[in-house]
Amino acid sequence: MKLKITFLLFLSLVTFAVTAQETKTVTGTILDTRDVPLPGAEVKVVDKDNYAVTDFDGNFSLDVVVGDQIRVTYLGFEAQTFSITNDATYSIVLQDASSELEEVIVVGYGNQKKADITGAIVSVDSEEITKQPATSALTSVQGKVAGVNIIANDAPGSTPTVLMRGLGTAEGGRSPLYIVDGQPLSDITSINPNDIESIDFLKGASYANIYGIRAANGVILITTKRGKQGKAVFSFESYYGAKTILNPVKMANAAQYTQYFNEESAANGGFLLQENQRYDTDWYDELLQTGTINNNSFSVSGADENIDYFLSYNLYQEKGILEGQQYNRGTIRSNNTYHLFNDRLRFVQNLNVAYTNETPKPFGAFSTAYRQSPLVPVRYDNGLFGQSFVNQTTGVVDFNTQPGETLGRLNSHGNPVSQVYYQDQQINTTSLQGQIAAELDITDDLMLTTRFGATKYYATSKSFTDIRSQWLNADPNRTEAFFDAQRVPNEDGVVSTEYANNSYTIRRTESYRWNIESFLTYDKSFDKHNLSATVGISRENYQGGEFTSSQAYDVEADPNLRNFNLRTSQLFNDNVDGDTYQSTNLQSYFGRVEYNYDQRYYVRAVLRRDGTSDFATGDNNFFGYFPAVSLGWTMTNEAFMEDNGVLDNLKFFAGWGKLGNQAIPFNVQSINAGSGSRNTNYVFGPTQSLIVGAALGTPAIPLSWEVTEEFEAGFDFALFNRKLSGTIDYYNRLNTNAILNVRPLLNSEFSSNFFDEAAEISNSGFEFLLNWRDQIGSDFNYNIGVNLSTNKNRVQNVRPAYDGAIGGSLGNGRITKRLAEGQPIFAWWMYEADGVWQTQEEIDNNTSLGSAAPGHLRYVDQNDDGVIDDRDKKYFGSYIPTYNYGINLGANYKNFDLSVSGFGVGGNKVYNGLYSTRLGGENISEEIFNKRWTGPGSTNVNPGADRDVEASSYYLEDGSYFRINNITVGYTLPEISSFVSSARVYVTLQNPFMFTDYSGFTPELNQNGDPTNTTGIELSAYPNTRSFIVGANFKL
Amino acid sequence: MKFIYKTLLLSLFTGLVFSSCDDFVEDVDIVDPTAEDGEDYLPVEFLTSVYGMHTDFSYAFSYLGITDMISDNSDKGSSPTDSGADKRVLDELTFTSSSGSVTAMWTQWYKTVGRASQAIDIAQNYEGQTQVPGSRVIGEAKFLRALNYFWLVRSFGAIPIQEVDLVERAPVEEVYAYIEQDLVDAIDALPIKSDYATEDLGRATKGAAQGLLAKVYLYQERWQDAADMANNVITSNQYSLDPDYANIWRETGENGPGSLFEIQARGEIPQHGVQQYSQTQGARGTGGWGWGFNSPSQNLEDAFNAAGDDIRRDATIIFAGETLFDGREVNAGVENPRYNEKAYSSSNAGQGDGDKNIRVLRYAEVLLIRAEALNELGQTSAALAPLNQVRTRVSLPAVTSTDQATVRQAIWTERRLELAMEHDRWFDLIRTGQAQAAMAADGKTFVTGKHELFPIPNNQLVQTPEMAQNPGY
Repeated sequence: MKLKITFLLFLSLVTFAVTAQETKTVTGTILDTRDVPLPGAEVKVVDKDNYAVTDFDGNFSLDVVVGDQIRVTYLGFEAQTFSITNDATYSIVLQDASSELEEVIVVGYGNQKKADITGAIVSVDSEEITKQPATSALTSVQGKVAGVNIIANDAPGSTPTVLMRGLGTAEGGRSPLYIVDGQPLSDITSINPNDIESIDFLKGASYANIYGIRAANGVILITTKRGKQGKAVFSFESYYGAKTILNPVKMANAAQYTQYFNEESAANGGFLLQENQRYDTDWYDELLQTGTINNNSFSVSGADENIDYFLSYNLYQEKGILEGQQYNRGTIRSNNTYHLFNDRLRFVQNLNVAYTNETPKPFGAFSTAYRQSPLVPVRYDNGLFGQSFVNQTTGVVDFNTQPGETLGRLNSHGNPVSQVYYQDQQINTTSLQGQIAAELDITDDLMLTTRFGATKYYATSKSFTDIRSQWLNADPNRTEAFFDAQRVPNEDGVVSTEYANNSYTIRRTESYRWNIESFLTYDKSFDKHNLSATVGISRENYQGGEFTSSQAYDVEADPNLRNFNLRTSQLFNDNVDGDTYQSTNLQSYFGRVEYNYDQRYYVRAVLRRDGTSDFATGDNNFFGYFPAVSLGWTMTNEAFMEDNGVLDNLKFFAGWGKLGNQAIPFNVQSINAGSGSRNTNYVFGPTQSLIVGAALGTPAIPLSWEVTEEFEAGFDFALFNRKLSGTIDYYNRLNTNAILNVRPLLNSEFSSNFFDEAAEISNSGFEFLLNWRDQIGSDFNYNIGVNLSTNKNRVQNVRPAYDGAIGGSLGNGRITKRLAEGQPIFAWWMYEADGVWQTQEEIDNNTSLGSAAPGHLRYVDQNDDGVIDDRDKKYFGSYIPTYNYGINLGANYKNFDLSVSGFGVGGNKVYNGLYSTRLGGENISEEIFNKRWTGPGSTNVNPGADRDVEASSYYLEDGSYFRINNITVGYTLPEISSFVSSARVYVTLQNPFMFTDYSGFTPELNQNGDPTNTTGIELSAYPNTRSFIVGANFKL
Repeated sequence: MKFIYKTLLLSLFTGLVFSSCDDFVEDVDIVDPTAEDGEDYLPVEFLTSVYGMHTDFSYAFSYLGITDMISDNSDKGSSPTDSGADKRVLDELTFTSSSGSVTAMWTQWYKTVGRASQAIDIAQNYEGQTQVPGSRVIGEAKFLRALNYFWLVRSFGAIPIQEVDLVERAPVEEVYAYIEQDLVDAIDALPIKSDYATEDLGRATKGAAQGLLAKVYLYQERWQDAADMANNVITSNQYSLDPDYANIWRETGENGPGSLFEIQARGEIPQHGVQQYSQTQGARGTGGWGWGFNSPSQNLEDAFNAAGDDIRRDATIIFAGETLFDGREVNAGVENPRYNEKAYSSSNAGQGDGDKNIRVLRYAEVLLIRAEALNELGQTSAALAPLNQVRTRVSLPAVTSTDQATVRQAIWTERRLELAMEHDRWFDLIRTGQAQAAMAADGKTFVTGKHELFPIPNNQLVQTPEMAQNPGY
């Protein structure tokens, strides 16, 4: 289809004939503003393959015809285009590096020149984003922005987690605020990365604070593309790629498993396995396939004096590494601006439609594949899925037994292939996002902007569960006859849904949000005074929505006939569920004044007043004020710094601001009461009648939004003709009233946990951003970008008796994290492993856990009281990295371009939960098998096959890694024909290498980012993947 | 001109949109998270939930560990390999501040105290109409609060009084004074047993409060007060001894003539009993019906035999292979030789909700309190009457000695045999100073200066590090 369109365009464009003209030779000089000649500048005839490079004195000579457009480019200078007239010589003065400092940064309710910014804002442009193909633009900028930690998840369609300047909340919302073209959104999954012009990260409080009550986790401003003045540009972009698992773990084979199992069994007095078994299943081989991605985009854009337009379509299709796993997304965007009354009134219209179509598969299969024994077949000879049955009498892994023999199980895990096979779910979503805005220049200095935006989101999930087939496959000794016999109503007329043939569930979700805002902007420069002021008001309604869910049993199995009206039986009742979500109203007022004197001294003040309908806990609790100030000094603009020859730019800045986080949990006052057997009820009287009572639950303590205060200071610099530039800054943010999930004291009257403002959480660190770019000769230029940020995360000033919340449950009754004063949020907390018990005698003579046996880990009795208990658990740091860094290299040689980017984290620890949470009979990795304890003296580090289930530092591993996440080699085709303005083909390797000492699949264990949960613990995480991508871009 | 007109229109539109600004968030009719409060419930319903606290599983497992298994009356039971969480270490006296049973009962008792205080508070502030007088609700709640504080103070010594401070441990005397005040109030407010309507059977009575107060005095060795308060119960003519000792723990013996207070339980639908109390102590293994914990010890059996006390022995202990009163034949192959018959339910032997009422305070104990107090006051011959009343019921010969020390020992032995497996033995041993010798005789090491009190649970100290631990832990 796409080819056809291209062909048609080709035909229509080829008809434009070009008439030849007479060629002449012109000469000239290229100079900078100080009249210094620029050697090595490129002087090229636009749309022709004809160029020259200036010599050491800045001179060039070029064959041209009159009327040719000549474009002069030189690194660090603004490109310039001039026309060939009848003159024979030309002197061109290039403007100094203006491209960087004149660049306009979106700062929320307005823009600011980069040169005038007095805070830590990082801007990423479209080129950086599209270089790294991904479903979400944020994945593409991973590792490129200092202080912004983006933790990717390679599952199809997943959203990365973004943490700006550390994690500042324990129980509140953690995600940053996304503002797309001025419109707040909860995420940007519906936005095609190719439609994005730039992403600005407002890291510091002095800038983010303009978004008040929702800015505590940082603000991400996204600007989508608009048409640019000139003729229509048609742009095509396609890529195709294959994905495989990046960091596979080699599992034990059948023989190793058998030996391990028998060692464990021997220690526990269990049954033994025969040595030669029939199957040797490599579960990961069976489970995983090569995924594919396929992305096609088309856009047309342009502008004339009355209208600029941008229209795009994108289709992204991905097949995951699990069989049947799919994610497809289509987006359509239309951004138009109408310029009226000589551009004094502008109407802006943005529309984005995104639809997705997804068939998810269970990630639990990854952990089942890790745990299930290689002795279990994928399928038995009779076609049923293999299960962990074993004939305990003969030790043969099979479900058949002779009379008198005992059938048991190797472990409690299922069959990962069947897990994937039976998940039959389809999710469709549609997201409609639109905005209209009017911008009116009331006078030359005063502008009024009014915007209205709305988003509507629909999701439908249809899932089908083949109960009969799963029941039969769960145990090959089961029969259909037995199943059918259960499908008879009992005396109450009920059949258990356990014996329904299938169930079918449709769940529909709908949500909406809208916002309206209006603000006046005043801009005035007189003499050397530059003043800008903004005042405005906004109103928002969000989080509103509803869901309905319907479930029926015994529907037709054929996907086309799955319908509640076509049932194979009427034995079962339907289930209907639904809820409505109350929306939140947000009312805001904001004002901002920016002033600078001669672009040397800057001062900036912001005030936002926010009120939210969520906090109706008191009379004056609706509204809060969020102030911010920042100062700046551009030293290089001082007279004494002029022509210093080294420093091109040096600007110091410092700022302070207050931010809010209103996404906090609520306390709900409850009364415990109900019928039946429960501890609020009692029996009285001779017949002991049941009397229903009631008890007060934990009281609802009124809470307010969390308030974060932040201070930052730093400087921007550029040296050596802007070859070296960068920013170094320090930040210190403090959540002054962090909400904790408090466990009531054991001796208090309340039983259930409650939320209270109970601590401070501080994040502080340094951020370094350095860029070097240079040109060697005329054909080669390159750049190197390095960034590093540090983060120190601490919980402090916890109210007495309010810490101690535990988290990081492994699902086997053991926990791994605890919140405590002076530690990072939910720091690791567990026994310290110190060696392995070699003999029973050793156990008897030392302090040990009650269940200790030779081959078990021994734990340190920290308090030397002769008992191993909770008091011996120790803090072991955090899953939160203490530093993040990124390295980006780019180079162009003639028509070739190369870019390499990598990033890493360090100072964190991750917990290998796959290894730790064994209940017995699970498979192990080959590494674990090889280094295990096998008897006294074999090892004093690693436990034997028989070991306990306690969480300990043994399973805690260094979580640092460095990942090359992108290597791209591109080739820009020489001019094919006059109507193709550019054409580039490229090859990309995503995640080709990862350097880590971690023994599991991936140390990038973000899960949903909830610190209380399994973040940092590998249990069933989606592994990192590696992709090979080929792609091409054309512009017509 | 046209432009200005449109400008005005746009500005007007902007203005209209934002009229009545703050109302946008202030006038939202939202679901108030504090909406559910106590107004829809009567004080008596909050009182019911205080009683209800005594039906929790803690009383069927943790409680057994720290009252019986730890003593010389019973062993952990179950299978040798089954540690029963911390039951083995309790039985072996090697428990720590992390022992789950200790933590569970500390928490259970304090949460019950909390519910009682809430019920008192709600009843005091209630302005609506009720059928049940508020004073009685308060009296019952105070009795229950006193009972739980008594269990706490005899287990942990100095403890925080929840209504005063959650961290500071009030001295033992203050805790007892607090308990006594609650009981004095309860005695004033509560009706005697026969003044209650029949449907109120099971509620705390004046007699129950007096009996508990007598016991509270006994623990403080306030002998005269104990003797007097016990006498108040005796002279109230509300109580007598059930002539058939074994009948007391059968369904027919529930709330019998000798019952001052017991936890009520029902096993049939609509059921509600002490969760799994009969099940955890039911015979385990082949032909069994329960988990087999809290198995009466050989030491206890020997004590019954030494006293020639067959009636109470057979009422207290289920022997493997015997045929029970209800005709159940106990398989000879059950895992332990002895099980607790006082926890046995004929109708709901192995069920989660059983009909077994737990007997908390019986008339026989009141008699023994009076006997002990009188003997300590030097009125040894007067002490013999209540003592022998208890012995006569189970056909044991009367004690005739008038030697104070002999009678003291006789009363202590009588308490052991009469109240065996009724969750009192351990505290009696400590109260009377017999613990170390008794434990030694049972093959365990009692550390003097440590084991008199349980440790403050570690999880409590983690949250309130300022609270001091008991000595030795």
